Amino acid sequence: MANRVCIIGGGVAGMQVALVLNTLGISSLLVEKSATLGGRVPLLSKTFPFFNDDGFNDGKEFTDALERDLRSAPLSEVRLNTMVTDVEGDFPNFTIRLSDGSSVQAGSIVVATGFTPFDPTSLKEYGYGDYANVITATELEWMLNPRGPTGGKLLRRSDGKPAQKLAIVFCVGSRNRRIGAPFCSRICCSYSTKQASTVMERSPHTLVVCFYMDVRTYDRGFEEMYSLAQERGVKYIRGRVSRCKQLPDGSILVRAENTLLSRPFSGEFDLVSLSTGMRPCEHADELSRLLGIARGPDGFFLCREWFRHPHDATRDGVFLAGCATGMKPIRNCMIDGAAVAARVAAVLRDTASLPFPRNRVTTNLVQPIPQTFSISSERNMYDSSSFPKGETHGHHNS
Amino acid sequence: MAVAATIPLGTIKEIPENDFFLTPSCILGVFNPGSEVLIGRIYDLLGLRWRAAGDRAESQCTCCTGFSSHGEVISIESTLLVAARIWSIAAELGIENITTACVTSYAIHNECLEMYKHEPGLDERVDRWLLQACGRRLHFPKHVVHASDILYRYRDVLAEKFQHRLVERRTGQPLRVVDHVGCHYAKVFPEKSVGGAEGCDVLAAMIRAWGGQTVDYPERRHCCGMGFRQCAIRPNRGYTMACVLKKLESMEPWKPDLILTNCPGCNVFLDKEQWAILQMTGKEYDIPTLSYTELAGLLLGWDPYDVVGIQSHTVPVEPLLDKIGIPFDPSKQWFSETSGA
Amino acid sequence: MKTKQSTKAGAPASFVSNNGDDLKSVSSQTLVDAYEKLRDQSEPSNGSRTYPKLCVLHGTAFEREKDRREVREWASRCPAEMQKWYEEARHQSCLWWLKNHLVAKRALSSCIACGVCTSQCPAAQYYGEYNPRAIVDAVLSEDEDQLVALLKSDLLWYCGQCGSCKPMCPRENNLMGLISSLRFLAQLKGYHLYSVRGRQQYAMRHLCGGNLWNRACTLYFRNPVAANHPDFGPRYAQYHSQAECQMVRVGASPDRPGQFGGRKLPPETLTEFRSCVAGGGTLALWNQLEKSASEDAEKKGLSIDEYHDRVNHEG
Repeated sequence: MANRVCIIGGGVAGMQVALVLNTLGISSLLVEKSATLGGRVPLLSKTFPFFNDDGFNDGKEFTDALERDLRSAPLSEVRLNTMVTDVEGDFPNFTIRLSDGSSVQAGSIVVATGFTPFDPTSLKEYGYGDYANVITATELEWMLNPRGPTGGKLLRRSDGKPAQKLAIVFCVGSRNRRIGAPFCSRICCSYSTKQASTVMERSPHTLVVCFYMDVRTYDRGFEEMYSLAQERGVKYIRGRVSRCKQLPDGSILVRAENTLLSRPFSGEFDLVSLSTGMRPCEHADELSRLLGIARGPDGFFLCREWFRHPHDATRDGVFLAGCATGMKPIRNCMIDGAAVAARVAAVLRDTASLPFPRNRVTTNLVQPIPQTFSISSERNMYDSSSFPKGETHGHHNS
Repeated sequence: MAVAATIPLGTIKEIPENDFFLTPSCILGVFNPGSEVLIGRIYDLLGLRWRAAGDRAESQCTCCTGFSSHGEVISIESTLLVAARIWSIAAELGIENITTACVTSYAIHNECLEMYKHEPGLDERVDRWLLQACGRRLHFPKHVVHASDILYRYRDVLAEKFQHRLVERRTGQPLRVVDHVGCHYAKVFPEKSVGGAEGCDVLAAMIRAWGGQTVDYPERRHCCGMGFRQCAIRPNRGYTMACVLKKLESMEPWKPDLILTNCPGCNVFLDKEQWAILQMTGKEYDIPTLSYTELAGLLLGWDPYDVVGIQSHTVPVEPLLDKIGIPFDPSKQWFSETSGA
Repeated sequence: MKTKQSTKAGAPASFVSNNGDDLKSVSSQTLVDAYEKLRDQSEPSNGSRTYPKLCVLHGTAFEREKDRREVREWASRCPAEMQKWYEEARHQSCLWWLKNHLVAKRALSSCIACGVCTSQCPAAQYYGEYNPRAIVDAVLSEDEDQLVALLKSDLLWYCGQCGSCKPMCPRENNLMGLISSLRFLAQLKGYHLYSVRGRQQYAMRHLCGGNLWNRACTLYFRNPVAANHPDFGPRYAQYHSQAECQMVRVGASPDRPGQFGGRKLPPETLTEFRSCVAGGGTLALWNQLEKSASEDAEKKGLSIDEYHDRVNHEG
């Protein structure tokens, strides 16, 4: 039996798995496809809800600390610029082939591949990609980061002038059945509030308006972050933005309804930031096939049991940590990492006693979500020889 | 596996290349008859095989009742039957592809098709009713597209045949053209339009292919305000006027040379309300409005009055013809005698 | 052949200038026969571009009265399945309709009141008190009284059926269809009489419905006379005064056999079309509209023609 654990993905969750495994005396190989560790966290100008959580002033300080710990952990090995190309065998003897040509033996595999932010180019009503001053939350974050391209200053992308009026649009790419994303991405309300609050703190005369449908700042400390943002002067308007159009001077006209006052809202902004929802990691499809594990209708990996085995993937010996199962804040990724490490340790210690639930896949997310229809341009849907019934479940490539 | 999107990204609309049944438009027949006849002329020019109501036997084709349906004076089942009757006529002629002259028709046919997908047993009921009503059977068409989809598909072929381009003759600058796509083309079934609701490209692509440049302005996707019962009943018409005014005010800073439409209703109101707006606000927008077939006809060098029928427009189109360099004889506009009725 | 009994109506050829009251005593068969005779004019033989003496039938009280009678008889002679359905549906509750009408039952799933529909609804921008969310709210409330209040109000009639709300709704609701369906119900139940804009439906019935029944087309090229469209300006007036010649010129066929709009349909086509319209149950609506209009007219002390004109101009 191979005692080692292969961790796919070097974000904060993957690093935490390796660190905790190390404390439990288990060796691991962490495989990361890019040249750096930390995932998307190093981009962050601030973490939330406390803005200098644990004394780290930005995302990179935190991931640097994790990386230092990891490098000094004797039982963990890290390989950067490396991807998994094939997986053979079964628990507890997986043979994993890597893109550097080598192959390794592992007793278990942990998938900690994270997420991808939704690309709003396809949602033409927001004008992303057409108008310079419409940006994504990721781009805003990097702009606010002193390490970033503007040294932390909020500037209009069209002409480099300071942006005095910022609109933040919630729920872009989420909570939208029409585009096949009926789910909520959970942390966008919170990270948007963090961004808005940061802007107001730095320049109190900026107009920052958040256009929301709900404010889901749900976790410990988040509601307090929300009130602080409001006290700093961030405006919240309850209404889904229907359209952003560019005016002759490059400013963006934003339209929504202020639903609490039942009044139309129309305003010009220097910058519009789209708080995009989350999608599964780029190679989720491939990984799912390589590893033989199932994904839910939202595209994120499925667990075996919702309550008792939330980190078991649908194949013996494969586990899931971090945003690979859905968006969550950094803290929860860290908690996940520790929980998975404990689970893996238990499983490796006692492989003979069938530690995996049999014939169980969480059915919670697998129920088809009623939808209107799926388009098939290949065949004639209206073949008169068989009158079609309403379809409830269609599949297209994600 | 992910949840199927109603509008999967990257869907390319399938537009058939030949063999069409062309259905007529109520509004075009009333206000811009040339625009409708031009569809047939352009199909002929492109060498396409098509049928409509070409001879007495075929003038079986009736209106689709779309306007009445959205004016709520006809039941949905009646509309389903009328649409089914039209499909059966097309089927008799052996044609599977329907092109509509009107955008509301386009949405109505598609709405009917959609209903069969979601309502179990509807097909059997309609088939039975159709048989009782007029001895015909329910037969689904393979494609229902709008006539502007066909011109979109063949826009480059047409461009080669043009004698003129959407270019200012003196300066060589591309003309600035507002593309106003009918709401019922792009919004009711966005996945069935070229480019979706917000990024609808059916007219913009024609404009680019024919030498012009498009104009993006804040109210670009705003409805023209035709509104069915809002324009039909006089006291409601303020709504229509307000919508037209809103669009004109919004597009004005970009100084457009032309408004291009693919919907019969839009072609009427964006043009004709400009006169009322002039009276009420004193501002003369003077932006000529043409349908895609009217524009194609003009660029092909066909006679502006005898073939295209620009005299049916309220805002004079002649200044645009001058800009492009299309010759015309203004004395040909009107007849000396009036029709007796 | 019946001889007419009336003392008020003149010879059939002059029915055109009679009003509804005058024609009340004329038998239905006479009315219909006279109409058909006046309608079918032969083509001009001298090759001129226009029909010199085409009888104006559209928009007349004569046509309306004829339609009234003809539709009533057709409906009672062979009532279609859907006609009976609609006739019974009007006795059911609004909630029943929402669950059973073909369009309404699928129109709405759930609403988060995000306001994206309202934020770009042209009607909401023009009519200050209108908000499409209010309609969704009333429907989702499942409260019969609230629904009835909605159906009686002007709010139901502001929507322009443009569909701008449809591609935007994150829950994929079909607001446009829902409103259309509710409007149908309001007319069936007579609630449309309570609002200015609702009463206009009587005019719509005869404008669009009359064209459908007699010409199988919703709009007829002779309908929009310049006097009714002063907003279109003098150029339009000039065009419309010679509409027929202009149409012939560009290749259209006004009131002639041929293709495209304005053409004359063979009688078989019109009969088939009427059967389809009747087969879908529309006659139940038209009969109901006539009934409620005549009751409302009587209440207000107006003749049916005066009522028709009034609802066309109110508001």
